[in-house]
Amino acid sequence: MMGLLQSIESSGFSQWVKQSGSLWAFPGILLMHTYGMAILVGIIAGIDLRILGLMPAVPLGALRRFFPLVWAAFWLNAITGTMLLAADATSKMRNPDFGIKMAFIVLAVITQRAIQKRVFGDPEVDLRPFSSNAKMLAVMSLVCWLGAITAGRLLAYVGNPGGL
Amino acid sequence: MIDVLSNTSHVHLLLNHVPTTAFVVALVLYVVSLFNGSEALKKTGLAMFFLIAAVTIATYTSGSAAEAWLRGIGAKSDLPPDVVPAAIHEHEDAALWATGLMELTGFFSWLALWQWKTVKRMPSWSTPLVLVLAGLSFVAMSRAAYLGGHIHHPEIRPDVVARHQACLAIVDEEVKHPGSVPNAPENCPWQTAADQANASAGAETEAGAAAPNMARRLGDFVIGQTWMWPTLETLHFVGLCMLFTVVLIVNLRLLGAIRVVPVSAVYQMLPIGMLGFAVNLVTGMLFFIGIPSQYNANPVFYWKIVFVLLGGLNVMYFMLVDDAWRTPSDRDVTAGPRIAAASAIVIWVCVLYCGHMLPFIGNAF
Repeated sequence: MMGLLQSIESSGFSQWVKQSGSLWAFPGILLMHTYGMAILVGIIAGIDLRILGLMPAVPLGALRRFFPLVWAAFWLNAITGTMLLAADATSKMRNPDFGIKMAFIVLAVITQRAIQKRVFGDPEVDLRPFSSNAKMLAVMSLVCWLGAITAGRLLAYVGNPGGL
Repeated sequence: MIDVLSNTSHVHLLLNHVPTTAFVVALVLYVVSLFNGSEALKKTGLAMFFLIAAVTIATYTSGSAAEAWLRGIGAKSDLPPDVVPAAIHEHEDAALWATGLMELTGFFSWLALWQWKTVKRMPSWSTPLVLVLAGLSFVAMSRAAYLGGHIHHPEIRPDVVARHQACLAIVDEEVKHPGSVPNAPENCPWQTAADQANASAGAETEAGAAAPNMARRLGDFVIGQTWMWPTLETLHFVGLCMLFTVVLIVNLRLLGAIRVVPVSAVYQMLPIGMLGFAVNLVTGMLFFIGIPSQYNANPVFYWKIVFVLLGGLNVMYFMLVDDAWRTPSDRDVTAGPRIAAASAIVIWVCVLYCGHMLPFIGNAF
């Protein structure tokens, strides 16, 4: 396992990300990861807050049109995140904080799928108050994304932040 | 022109007049509107409070850069001989208080303007709160300006004024009782007073080095606690997401996405974005106060502040156009608000770009 991680980390691509000094390498990939976060968490948080009762005049059903944008941002971050991981595989994979971040993201994605299916799946979603189940999912979504952001930021500080 | 803009001290000397003189104009307009009940005047006052609060961000940060220009860069940095460090420290603390109050004034002025549109009348909480905050901002900002003058206007420094008055007294004595003061007016105590001033300036330098001012103590607290910087960064990201929630959903609606949603509905989202900006202003200022040198000479930070100011202008444009917000579902807004909506997305994408690139293009961290 460690051998595999080391060979990933010593690949030409990983070395370019880590050491080329190009703005397109580490800074550019991390920039895309940040834009992805802003779009993904930004829009999802807006939907969650709507379910929790803020902005009552906005019909929730209409916000489903943002789902393609949300998932595009998700895959942008999955790809850029994998690139960043490849550049620092040995230390990130041993960092418990990285596991915590991934756990939060898996939970957040499950929650998002549940919100899309159960809350948005109801054709009369805007005709009656949201169920406590829907509100629970919205809280869970906010908590998971907050956890993922926090754990992600702390990757630069805890474990073995010597690399990146 | 380029020289002027590249030396941030010029920017500070230019901008420092906005929170003082322009604010007086805004305050007068606002107070007059309370008496004559003019809604247009009151809106103008509130809009000016908000825009001045935005400029104040640039005024505060460029002030720190001006200090860096005075001190020079390198291991042995020194102020020019006639600049008293204690004067800079006092000015910085006063400016920090004034900036804090000014940002609160701007925030609540914006909130009053926002609520005005939803409830169709001036919200009743806003008048006393904004008036008190604006009054306090005016006092605090005047004090900051006065103390700022002491840095490079020796003619108003208390020691120089006392010296001048002592000299006048001698001349006066000589006029009343000719011959009573030998060698008057050559005997004016310039020399002795100058020596005293130098001695006290020296003492102040030592005292200044021994006891850091409030801004420095706050900065030391930010960088002294291991948990502080990561926590602020995380909050800065959370604020960024809140801001982008609104920037994307509201502006994409104005540009024609989710047309089934009336524009008046997405208007309800705006305070979330403003709250996100407030979180990022507070956390961002704490970064700045923590390690000013990372930002003072950083061109990317300079541009970030420029884009934040453009963002402030953009927000104020939207607060003052009423028609766009009345657009019902399945209708498009007119060209003006569309252009402003597209600019809003570009502006905040640029702010994020500059913030992210602080360590990579600039010299931060």
